[in-house]
Order: sequence, then structure tokens, then C-alpha cells
Amino acid sequence: MRRRRRRRRGRILAIKPGLNPNSSSLGVDITFLLIGASALALMTPVVASVLRLRRSPAAGDVVTNEAPVDPPEPTQSDAD
Amino acid sequence: MKPLSTHLNRLKATLTELAGRRRGPAPLRGRVESFGAIVQLVTPRALVFVDRDYARSMNMQPAKDHPMWAEPSDDGDVTRRPLSAPMEAHLQLTNRCDVGCKGCYTAATPRGEADEWGAERWKRAIDELADMGVFHLALGGGESATLPWLGEVAEHARRRGLIPNLTTSGQTSVDRVVALAPLFGQINVSVDGLGDAYAAVRGYDGFNRADAAIARLRAVKREVGINVVVTRHNFDQLDDIFAYARRRRLSEVELLRFKPSGRGRHSFDQMTCTDAQHREFLPVVKRALRRHRVRARVDCSYTPMLAHHRPSKDLLESLMVYGCTGGDFLIGAKATGAVTACSFAAPPTGGPSVDKLNAYWHKPEAFGVFRRWREAAEPCRSCEYHSLCRGGCRVVSQHVCGDAADPDPECPRVVDWRERTRVHLPVVM
Repeated sequence: MRRRRRRRRGRILAIKPGLNPNSSSLGVDITFLLIGASALALMTPVVASVLRLRRSPAAGDVVTNEAPVDPPEPTQSDAD
Repeated sequence: MKPLSTHLNRLKATLTELAGRRRGPAPLRGRVESFGAIVQLVTPRALVFVDRDYARSMNMQPAKDHPMWAEPSDDGDVTRRPLSAPMEAHLQLTNRCDVGCKGCYTAATPRGEADEWGAERWKRAIDELADMGVFHLALGGGESATLPWLGEVAEHARRRGLIPNLTTSGQTSVDRVVALAPLFGQINVSVDGLGDAYAAVRGYDGFNRADAAIARLRAVKREVGINVVVTRHNFDQLDDIFAYARRRRLSEVELLRFKPSGRGRHSFDQMTCTDAQHREFLPVVKRALRRHRVRARVDCSYTPMLAHHRPSKDLLESLMVYGCTGGDFLIGAKATGAVTACSFAAPPTGGPSVDKLNAYWHKPEAFGVFRRWREAAEPCRSCEYHSLCRGGCRVVSQHVCGDAADPDPECPRVVDWRERTRVHLPVVM
């Protein structure tokens, strides 16, 4: 039952920190490669807490794109 | 003594920040994806990728009967399909620039393109991107700081919920950038080396002016960094560059691989790093990070050089460290509005202008080879990092191999594999 409850809460899959000002490529933060997985393990609960605070009814719902569109088709190898 | 304008700009920035606090935090922005959802955090600044259950807990889900979540196996798999929209768009607002860097990837000139867009077209494009759910803009050029309507476009992006970011050479129109600084999430100044190395890479001696611009920007804004195109001429200076960033109290150093694009096509062989430097890239950056404690970012084309040191795949995935995600995580737009998979790539055949991106985005053939990364040849096909790296930089492959689908020829694994499989002809005595 505990496992089911945990599953229902869902998972944070990834965190892309920072903003990329560079207009020529997708800048990824590699500072955490130096510090390693432990830093990410610390960062994830912080981010989760912020999300929990911000998703409270008082804060209102997340503003989403108004009309979600069909997901692009998977590539051939996906469909296999 | 600092000029009065510096103090006024700092005061303006502080007031803007305080006004934001009084209004309370802005609502979270996010969008539903086939794997779950992406949510944008402003503090700390991050995009957070969550699975469907987490998205549901935030009241984020597709409309009833919408097919977005029809496929259960998509749940939690960030890269199974292209995203429903790019995370960020790189807008080349102009291709006008006076400084004439010898490796300029857009081949910018003082005259720019004949049919460049003006503010109104760019604002329409931003409307399209906002409707699609794009989060960030990276504004560049040419030198977009010279545009009198730069602030108008950045303000429009803010109104539509996108965070505009800016890259500038710092050689001109610094007053305008300083005045507009609070509008941007992050501003980076291009500094491709210190002192003489700057001139060696860029072809003109502009370091002192760039440095002065950085000092002025940093006086009014915390989120100021530098972009460094890494070449064989400044590779040995990377530690000094991080030390410089530390001295100037910059928020980040973004390291970019030299691309054979624009004027860079002609100087690629003389500028690109050597194989030995590519292999040493990550250890050198790590040492500099440890010593100087400045945040480091690298561009997507460096992923093969990171993977060479076999970091944890889970860690890379958790930090969204991917290789070529052109036409998926990001798009570019030329000064004429033409959409590209990334800023270095040519517009795809049949591609639209960026204000009509949505219809094109969902076509099966959209962005051609950029989205067909799974159809990789060896040695990428058998590489355990391929799902992250996606075969390296398509633009380098196109230039060096003549085929954008080829494995990145500068990836250490590809170099080793080609060396092993090279046919050695017998020597006839």
C-alpha cells in the first residue's frame, strides 16, 4: 500500500538548472558532474519542496499551454 | 568613481526586483508532455521534468480524450518522442554586426541580410512560441544589442511568459544592454580568450572593450557570464579564463565547441581543438571548476567529449545533459525568420518561418536527420551513451564527412573506432 501511495505521488525525472543565454546551442550545466550524484540527491528534495509549496491551492494551478497538441510520432525504431 | 548611469540602473534593477516580490511569486508555468510534464521554476532557476503521476498531482494533464497520454509506455520516458514543443528558441534577431570575427558562425556583416525581420514579426513569432509552451529565448545575432527595438521584443517575451536571455559581444551598444539588463534572465558576453588570445580567436583586439562591458553589466546585474568558444589557441588558457570569471564575480562560464558554420567553415581546420585536447576537455574543466568555483556550462556538441570519461548515465539524464537535440529540445531562427534545427544548421527543406512553427513541428519529416538520430551507424549504434549523445554534432559531421547523419568525427570513440577499422594496405617491397 505504501508503495502504491509513493507511486501515485510520482517522480521528478530530471532537472535542467539555469538559463541558457547562448543563442547557438543548448548549454548544459556540468557543475554537478564535478560534485556528483550526491549534490543532485540534495537538490531534488529542494526542488520538490518548492514545487509542493507552489502547487498549493493558494498558489493556483500551473499555467500550461492552452491547447496541448498531439505528441509527435515516434521514430521508426520507437515503433518497433 | 562609477558613472551616475550605473547607479541609476542598479536602482532600477532593485526596484524591479522589489516590485516583483510585493506582487508575490508569479504562477508556475508548465506544459504537459507525453512522459508527464515540464514545469518551470524561477527560484531556483530550473526546468523540472516530472512523470504523469507527479503532473497529475499538480493538476497538469491533457484534456479528456486527448491522445497525449494514450500510450502507457511513454510515461516517464523523456526522449521516446520529440517534445511537444522546444524548451528554448534561439532567435538571431539580426545578422548585422560590425566587428567581423573570423570564425563567426552566422557570417555576420555590417549590412546583415536583405530581408531581416523587424520587431513586429519577431513579436508574432514570440506569440507562436508562447502558445506552444516554449520556456526560454536566447537572443543573439549578429549583434542584437544594436537593435533599437531589442527592449520591445524582450518585454513582449516577458509579457507572454517567456524568459529572454541575451548574448552580446560587448563591443557596442553597451549602454542599451545595461539599461535593458533587468529584462533578461541571463546575459553572457562573448570572450574567446584573455588578452592576445582573444585576438587570435576572433581576429581583432576587443578584449578590453568586452571586459569593460562585463564590468558595467555586472555592476547592475548578478546573472552575467561569459561565452567562450574553445579553440586550439585558447584551450591552454581555460584555467585563466575561469580565474578571470571568478575575479569579475560572474555567474557562469559557458564553453562552446568551434563549429564549421558561417565564416567558421573556412577556419575550422585551424581553429578546432586537437583530438588530445578534446580528450582532456572534461578533466581540464573539472580542475578549473574545483580551483575557481565558477559555474560551468557546455554546449550540446561537447557531450561526446564528456561521455569519453564514462560519467554516470543516470546522472547525465537527471541533469538533462544530452547531445544534439536540435529540432527537439531547441530550435533556431535566422534573421529572416527561417526555422532551423539549431543555429548552426541550414533551414530544413520545406521548413517554415518561426511564426508558423507549430504546424511544421508535428510533421513526421520535420527537421530530417536531426530527428532520425536513432538510425545511427557504428560506432554510435553500439555506444551505451548514444541515447544521450545522439551521435554528436550534426553540423561537424556534415562539414567533415559530407553527411550530417554520420557519427561526429571528433568524438574520441569515433576517432578510435576509425583507427581500429582502417584498412591497412600491405607494403610491397
